[in-house]
Amino acid sequence: MRSVYAIGTGIIPFGKYPDKSLADIVWPTVKEAIIEANIGREAIDAVFFGTAFGGLLAGQRSLRMLGISGLPIINVENACSSGSSALRLGWMSVACGCHDVVLVVGADKLTKLGGGPLPLERDDCEVTQGLVMPAVYAMRARRYMHDYGLTREQLAEVSVKARKHGALNANAQIRTPVTIEEVMASRLIADPFTLLHCCPTGDGAATVILASEEVARRHSATLVRVAGSEVTSGVYTNGYRDMTWAELTARGAKHVYEMAGIGSGDIDVAEIHDAFTIAELMYYEAFGFCERGQGYELLHSGETSLGGKIVVNPSGGLLSRGHPVGATGVAQAVEIVRQLSGRSGRHQVEDAKVGLTHATGGGIAGFDHGACSVHIFSR
Amino acid sequence: MQETKTAVVVSERSRPNELKLVDPRLVDIDGSRARLKAGQCRQCKAYSFPRADVCASCLSEDVADVFLSEEGKLYSFSTIYKGPPGWIVPYTLGYVDLPEGVRVLANLDIPQEQLGVDLKVRLGFKAIAKDADGSPLQTYVFRE
Repeated sequence: MRSVYAIGTGIIPFGKYPDKSLADIVWPTVKEAIIEANIGREAIDAVFFGTAFGGLLAGQRSLRMLGISGLPIINVENACSSGSSALRLGWMSVACGCHDVVLVVGADKLTKLGGGPLPLERDDCEVTQGLVMPAVYAMRARRYMHDYGLTREQLAEVSVKARKHGALNANAQIRTPVTIEEVMASRLIADPFTLLHCCPTGDGAATVILASEEVARRHSATLVRVAGSEVTSGVYTNGYRDMTWAELTARGAKHVYEMAGIGSGDIDVAEIHDAFTIAELMYYEAFGFCERGQGYELLHSGETSLGGKIVVNPSGGLLSRGHPVGATGVAQAVEIVRQLSGRSGRHQVEDAKVGLTHATGGGIAGFDHGACSVHIFSR
Repeated sequence: MQETKTAVVVSERSRPNELKLVDPRLVDIDGSRARLKAGQCRQCKAYSFPRADVCASCLSEDVADVFLSEEGKLYSFSTIYKGPPGWIVPYTLGYVDLPEGVRVLANLDIPQEQLGVDLKVRLGFKAIAKDADGSPLQTYVFRE
C-alpha cells in the first residue's frame, strides 16, 4: 500500500440554503480544494461523492458545474457515514495505486426534507413503531444515566462545550454560546433531550483532495498524511445489547489505531460524531480517551476543550458546526487537515500533529449503528 | 420526497370491522389480545423478530412461526415530542427484553411517573397513530 496525503480542502459555511441546489453548494468547495491543492482539473483521476439524501447521480450533477466529467464518479451512500465512506474509498484507490489524485466530496441538503427528525427507512420494523434518531440516542442516554449516575445538567455541558467551540468557527451553522440553563430550558424533543441536546438540521458540503506521495511532494507545503482509514458496520443482533457502550466505534478505533501504529494518547485533536450530547461522552470511552463511565469527568476536566490535552470537536462538532448527514465525514477531514497545517484561526489547536475523524450512524433495527468510519491524519 | 400527512404505515388490505395494524408483520391483534409474531429456527433454535424466512444464525430456511412471551423487562425508554409526520405526540418508546433473549422496540402505555429502567412490563395493544383517512392504527404496547 502507498502512503496517501490530503493536498486540498474546501468547505462552505454550514447552514440553511433552501433556495440553492445541491450542486450550488458543492461546487465552491471543489473549486476551493482544487486551488488549494495547486493542481489542474485534469489531474483528477476519480471522484468519490458521499451523500445520503442527494438523490441519483449527485456527483455527476454537482461536478458538471465545474466541467469535471468523463472520469470515474462513484456516488456513496452509508447514512451518516456517507462522506467518510467516500473518503475511505478514495484512500483505498490511491493507496492501492489505481489513482494518483482523487476528489472526495460529502454533501447533503436537509432543508429540502422540511425539518424535524431525519426520515428513516419506512420498511424497518422499529421505524413502523415510531422510532426516530433522537429516541435511539435518548434511550442510550437514559440507560447510561441509570448505570453511571450521569445527570441531565452534566449531559447539557456537552452542548455548552460544543457551542463554545462553534462560536469561534466561521463555518459553523450555530455560532452562539449557550449556558447549561438554556440547554435545559429549550423545548423537549426526546426525553432526556431538549432541542439543544440535538444537532441542527441544515445544508452543507465539503471536499478533500487525496493524492499519492509523489504528487503531494510536488504540490504541498505542509504534508498531511492519512495514516489510518477504516469503515466498518454494526454487528446485527435482535437480542440484548449494552446500549451504554459504542461497540462499533470501539472496534473501528482499535483497527485504525493499529493501522496507524498509534494509541489513543497520541491524538491531539479529534472530530467525533456528537449527533446528540450523550454520543460525545460514549465516544470518549470508545476511543479510549477515558475509562468506561468516566466520559463526563473527562469533559468537565476541560481536557477536551480548546487548550486541553485532547481537543474534541474544535469545529463545534455536529451540535454546532452542523450535520448535513453526508457532508459530515468530509467536513471533519477538512477541519483536521487544516488543524494539522495550523490554519484553523480562532479555534486552532496548538501544535496539533495527530488528528482523528469519526462519523457513524444509521438507525436500523438490530444494529448499534449501520456504519462507522474512522480516519487518522498526521503530519 | 417525504410524505407529510400519513403516518409510517405498512399497508394492509382493510376489510370492514377489522382492526388496522401499524405493522402486521410484527403483531397479531384478535380484538382482545396482542401477540408478537416471531420465527424460531427448527435447526438451531435461534429466534427472529421480525420473523425471517432464513435463519441469520445457521442459514436454515426451516423456520417455525412462534409467538414471543408477553412479559418482559424495560431496558430503556424515551418520551418523544417530535415524531415522524402523522405521529401523535407525545408518545413513549422503550426497549423490552423478553425471556427468549429477544429485545423488542415497543410503544409504552405507562404513566410518566411509573416509567423506570428495569420495570416489569406486559404486552397489550392500543391505537397509537392515524392513517391518511383518520382511522386509528393499532399496535402492540407494553404496560406495567
